[in-house]
Amino acid sequence: MKLNVDERWDLIDKISKEVVSYGKYEHTLKDALGELSVKPLAGIPIAITVLYGFWSVFSSFAGTLWTDGFMVKIFDEHFLPWMQAHFPGEGGWLYYIVVGDPAADNCFEAFGVLTSGLFVAIGVVLGAILIFYLMLTLLEDVGYMPRLAVLIDTILHKIGLHGYAIVPTILSLGCNVPAITATRILETRKQRFIMMTLLAIFIPCGAQLGIMEEVIPDTMGVVVLYLIIGYFIFGFVLNKIIPGKSPEILIDVPPYQMPTKRNVGRKMWMRTSGFLKVAVPFVLLGCMIVNVLYLTGVMDQLANALGPLLMGWFGVPKETVGPLIAAFLRKDLAVAQLSAIEMTDYQMITSVVLVSIYFPCVATFAMMLKEGWKELLGSLVVLAVVVFLYGGLVHLIGILAGVA
Amino acid sequence: MAKSYGIGSIYFGILGVVTLAFGIADLIVTIGGDSFTWSILEIPGDMFRGGWGGLIILFAGLFYLSGIKNLSEIHQLSKVVLGSILIWIIAGTDIFTMITESIPGGEEGGWFNTLEDFFGTYAPPYAPAIFLLPFSLVVIYYVYKRK
Repeated sequence: MKLNVDERWDLIDKISKEVVSYGKYEHTLKDALGELSVKPLAGIPIAITVLYGFWSVFSSFAGTLWTDGFMVKIFDEHFLPWMQAHFPGEGGWLYYIVVGDPAADNCFEAFGVLTSGLFVAIGVVLGAILIFYLMLTLLEDVGYMPRLAVLIDTILHKIGLHGYAIVPTILSLGCNVPAITATRILETRKQRFIMMTLLAIFIPCGAQLGIMEEVIPDTMGVVVLYLIIGYFIFGFVLNKIIPGKSPEILIDVPPYQMPTKRNVGRKMWMRTSGFLKVAVPFVLLGCMIVNVLYLTGVMDQLANALGPLLMGWFGVPKETVGPLIAAFLRKDLAVAQLSAIEMTDYQMITSVVLVSIYFPCVATFAMMLKEGWKELLGSLVVLAVVVFLYGGLVHLIGILAGVA
Repeated sequence: MAKSYGIGSIYFGILGVVTLAFGIADLIVTIGGDSFTWSILEIPGDMFRGGWGGLIILFAGLFYLSGIKNLSEIHQLSKVVLGSILIWIIAGTDIFTMITESIPGGEEGGWFNTLEDFFGTYAPPYAPAIFLLPFSLVVIYYVYKRK
């Protein structure tokens, strides 16, 4: 049987009359709360509260309980002395690489592969990553993330992105590697390039945040503020100079719902195991390479060669060259190394900002390469300019404020 | 029904004013720089708990006050619920901090805290959000009442 257009519409009417029931939809409390969280007047206080809760739980668990509560004791009071006493060949190069400084009384200063390396990976980073991913998963599964995307859409349009760019940005606060993959949710090459570059430069990963919380608890806020300001300034500039489109988004905002244990458990396992597979080998490798560079005298030569630039332009001691090299392997490791260098508070702030905005860690680098070598090359050019300009600017601000 | 919502409006109005006052006090103390302790109440003076936390308590007070008129209407009730949620988050994180501090033995102690020090961590003084917490739970009655 063949129907003409009118007959088809009649048939549709008939079917819809039989299967669709009409009535007045009453808003539920969940609907009303959902609406409030996307309206700027109520949504911004909610977003501030969520970030407050996120950070408070993160620092209490990762800092107070995991690292300071148990891991410092395990590593500094038991594991380090045991390694120093039992590892053969004290004073030899192998001892130096594996155990580190025989006179060190804590794992931050020892800098051996199996002392500082394991302490950073397990004693600091694991706790930070576990709680970070738990909180992030809960926010996703409750349904808050799409609302945050809607809320922040207008602001992110100023830097050529849209609301959903908040997903890779927040993911990046855990680890840059999955965040680079997540940039694929952005529609155009321009957006993906801006996002990838900003992530690689301005977003510190969870591991780095955990170490910063441990090493510079009092001045960490200033470092984060510098990074946030840089994120928006350079995002704005990139949006102006890079050709291409930044389209609008149309997203489906799901209702608020209770997260299920199974989903949370699966996501946590997937993310944490993925992170550990990537992070732990690089932390250990980083310790090893830096120690070898010290042993062979390469580090001293580099420090002398780059000293004038580091001290004159950035205002940091020339010894920071070691952490800057380590930062290519792991930024958390680099911040841990910085803690062993004598410097003023503001030099420490500048150094941590430099480590953050300097070259992305090698895992991120590999991920960016996978997304396209042209994008990677472009990001590296931007990065070089940003390090030079922004690093100098941070120093200048310090001079003007009388603290540098 | 209407009478109970009337009582609810008065209750959350008073709670809103008290919450707002605590938020302002938090901010003033933070600007001063030092924490302020009075009997079992402690207003933190650090930028994070006093500044950010105070700002959130202030928002909670404003949500309460903006929701009290015509409380039986779902959108108005949702503002009051939101005020309570903000207080639950602040108080919840304060309690979580106490829990994480109470378990380990500290630098000089053993692996775990002594029973005395464990309970000592939960002793007053408390931050304003902890005092507001039990009063904010009343909103649960109104949520269930509506259901």
